[in-house]
Amino acid sequence: MSPDNEAMADASTTLEREVTVENQFGIHARPAALLVKTASRFACEILLEKNGVQVNAKSIMGLLTLEGHHGAKLRILATGVDASEAIAAIVDLFERKFHEG
Amino acid sequence: MMRRPAETPRITVEEFFEAGHGSLELSWEANAENAVGREISEVALNRPGLALAGFLRYFAYRRIQVLGLAEMSYMNSLSPEERVQRYRILRNVPAVVLSRGRRMPLYVRKTTAELGIPIMRTRLVTGHFMNAATVLLQNLSSPRIRVPGTMIEINGIGVLLEGEPGIGKSEIALALIKRGHSLVADDVTSLTRDSTGAIQASAVEITREHMEIRGLGIIHVPRIFGVSSIRGDMRLDLIIRMRKQTREEGDIDRTGLDTTTRNVLGVEVPLVTVPVAAGRDLTNVVEVAALNQRLKQMGHDSARELDERLKKVLSRKENRRES
Repeated sequence: MSPDNEAMADASTTLEREVTVENQFGIHARPAALLVKTASRFACEILLEKNGVQVNAKSIMGLLTLEGHHGAKLRILATGVDASEAIAAIVDLFERKFHEG
Repeated sequence: MMRRPAETPRITVEEFFEAGHGSLELSWEANAENAVGREISEVALNRPGLALAGFLRYFAYRRIQVLGLAEMSYMNSLSPEERVQRYRILRNVPAVVLSRGRRMPLYVRKTTAELGIPIMRTRLVTGHFMNAATVLLQNLSSPRIRVPGTMIEINGIGVLLEGEPGIGKSEIALALIKRGHSLVADDVTSLTRDSTGAIQASAVEITREHMEIRGLGIIHVPRIFGVSSIRGDMRLDLIIRMRKQTREEGDIDRTGLDTTTRNVLGVEVPLVTVPVAAGRDLTNVVEVAALNQRLKQMGHDSARELDERLKKVLSRKENRRES
């Protein structure tokens, strides 16, 4: 994401970021709950995408159906006023392996 | 609701086997390893009797070939050299299925091993297999999308509840389950268009039978409420969109006279928008919306019928005044 992109972020722009699932068991119930908790702090719409399937990052059941195993590549799509903050917070979760190594 | 165009999926022999080995009683006879990634370029079945007899024009070689009693008996009537020759016409087919649990004669085994065609056998009789496999192939090849929303069956009507996370879809589903209705899918619903043109809804396999209730976490529905509380799949009859109540409600229908629909995989599905406000019992509203939809499907449109009656009464009164 270029700084230009970020500056343009408004209610209608969708910001995107790629992430890789790094924790051993992938997105199971606990990481899914953490993701929902984090995503729900933001007003923007946040979607997670894997192999063309998109789910709402504020839905536990949605995240579980993604089957985000270790090593899976996902795309985060955020649309709304606080989209860039939301993406930063979610990327941080992935990078910290959902605090479970 | 739909963010991506639905694609008609490519189907491989491996996928066909995986999906059908239970219901079609399939097992591998030969060359299973070649099934991986081997595409069924025409999603249908063919009985290659005519082709084996030598009439090769119109041979539907892109389809899965089914060898039944007739084909096998015919081949057995030929000389060994001729059989091998005839079997070679199958070299480009995606796969071969032997019906009635028949094993391959040795000469077929040799020829096909050479040709590398995946061969399955089914315990079903040919006719039954053809019917069941055709349905399965159609289901596999029909376009499928995954949508956010909770799917429930209410007195035989399939309802998809839509609304942003946290609006209370799962809570309403829970209340409906307690009233004896059945959950199809919580929060994420898989939709496909079947061969009759109806939209069929089901859960995504990995989360099937589960739902998430805020404050409780993930629950297993049939273990708490019994087997009648869930349903594998259900036709989609009605979409109910739940929306937070705002001042402006210009688009909320107060009469029920205007039918709104949403295009789902090319099919127009009735859509009702329901405002969510504190203290409003939406379980009742959703239940009645489903029953009202059922009435409509039976040919009764209450809003329209009342409106017709009103118009009749009003015009009578006007006539009386004039006369």
